[in-house]
Amino acid sequence: MSDETAGLKEWIIRGKRNEAVQETKKALAAGIDPATVMAEAIAAMSIVGQKFSTGEFFLPQMMIAARAMSEIMAILKPRLLGAAAETKGKAVIGTAAGDFHDIGKNIVKMMLESAGYQVVDLGVDVAPDRFVQAVHDERPDFLLMSALLTLTMENMRRTIDALRAAGVRGNVRVGVGGAPLTKKFADDIGADFYSPDAYECVETCNRIMHSSHRPSPEGAEAKQR
Amino acid sequence: MTPRERVMRALHRGQPDRVPWIENDIEEDIQVRLMGGRTDFTPGELCRALGMDGFGYHFPSGQRAQDSQSAQTTGKTGKEGWYYPRRITFDFTPPWVAEMGTVEGTGRTYVKRGLLTSRDSLELFDEFLPDPDHPARYEKVAQWLEKYREDFAVFARIRLGSASTFESMGLDVFSIMMYDDPDLVKEIHRRFSEWSAKVIQHLNKMDFDFIWANDDHADNKSSWVNMEMWDEFLRPYQMIVVNEIKKPWIFHSDGNLFPILDGLVTLGMNAIHPVQPAAMDINKLKAKYGDRVCIVGNIDLDYTLPKGTEEEVEAEVRDRIEKIGVGGGYMISSANSITDYCKVENVWAMSRAIKKYGTYK
Repeated sequence: MSDETAGLKEWIIRGKRNEAVQETKKALAAGIDPATVMAEAIAAMSIVGQKFSTGEFFLPQMMIAARAMSEIMAILKPRLLGAAAETKGKAVIGTAAGDFHDIGKNIVKMMLESAGYQVVDLGVDVAPDRFVQAVHDERPDFLLMSALLTLTMENMRRTIDALRAAGVRGNVRVGVGGAPLTKKFADDIGADFYSPDAYECVETCNRIMHSSHRPSPEGAEAKQR
Repeated sequence: MTPRERVMRALHRGQPDRVPWIENDIEEDIQVRLMGGRTDFTPGELCRALGMDGFGYHFPSGQRAQDSQSAQTTGKTGKEGWYYPRRITFDFTPPWVAEMGTVEGTGRTYVKRGLLTSRDSLELFDEFLPDPDHPARYEKVAQWLEKYREDFAVFARIRLGSASTFESMGLDVFSIMMYDDPDLVKEIHRRFSEWSAKVIQHLNKMDFDFIWANDDHADNKSSWVNMEMWDEFLRPYQMIVVNEIKKPWIFHSDGNLFPILDGLVTLGMNAIHPVQPAAMDINKLKAKYGDRVCIVGNIDLDYTLPKGTEEEVEAEVRDRIEKIGVGGGYMISSANSITDYCKVENVWAMSRAIKKYGTYK
């Protein structure tokens, strides 16, 4: 971290968007590589996510930090070159069919975007065939589903079955979350991972993306594109 | 004791003859299934069949069962429906000031997006909120009360205004506006709370035994705001309603309330509901707050009632009665409401278990 980006992290964590934007412009004017500034901003959002996960931060604090982050990203993105301009990964997200509760889904979306992912939001009440279509069309790294109701979480199983039936299950990692879910349920329905909260979801996606750039572990499902 | 006496004793943290059973809601579809397909039963008939001690909410009243909560979905065209309800209801919640979506097939509605997002949008209050002093609504409900109350504990459902604010702004806009235009958030909450305060003035004069205030503040992980935010943005406006309540009352919020519970209990509610097992440790709640509030709820709605066996329901009911019911101040209830995805046989298992284990010796 250079002196020119020293304050940026703090402004993002505090959700001070004007100050964070100013700090970003100052760093760029001083000749700091945009990729370095971006890395600093993503690190700040990781701290925000951690604070949210541990209960130190509450929803509004995370929301304003994410807003500051998104304004910084708008400045940095056009200046990023080559590999640094690519998104970290791509996720398709939605609530399970029949479920209209989207608070959790929206938090995950916001956290993923702040961490540098491209997110395609299918919204609420997403039928299995819409998820399948999105996997075909968007070619995402992750398909993420949430459910608040015991009634609707069974539709996650149907979605995964539909992915298998369409022959695209191996193309995407499936993550699930939501109030009534457990890791056991996620395992039962054949999801790749379960996240108890948004921060864990981002961390898991990061781990998977990191490991996917290395040789696949023995027995891991190969990504077929 | 009569069912009413039983509930009132527990609400005041006393020990009745047995642990009372009360539900914040039973969705109409499952009411009908519990009643063998009938739609024309009275609230008292349903209570007697199950062994429940009180009622509120809404009933099919001889019509096709509605999946959604009848009084919540009125929207901007629903004022007449609010003044002249056609089915038995004891709900007095304001409509969401929101764009609503409807699920094909079931007619269930949901909030697509809140519409109170700017100062200009404040004019929508006039468009959406019915006149809280309109006499027709209260006259009709008073007739139903007289006809159906028998010796059950009857409650009216209201909002303190917080849930209305969250849903009508959207949690994202609410969060951002707390920093960008805090006075707008306060103004919106104040308007909803003043509406509910006027409603309460009417309910105080009616033959209700208690009030149930439904205001979700949290998800399983945490309350949406911290104590400082609650104290500045919610408490002053919640108090506008609380100051008018002249009957015992239950506070309802899903999720984990522990981060703000020290503040919330100062509102002076008689009871807290629904204590979701996945979000709050009921033993901790009883130990820390059991001398200040009656506890209502905690029979699991994520697994036990919708997916568990009858034996698992019985074991859970027995556990709660033995651990939390001790000494009184506990009313058994699902960890939210009896939803239409609960197994009917599990609701009957809950009924049997309460009768079997609920009597105080």
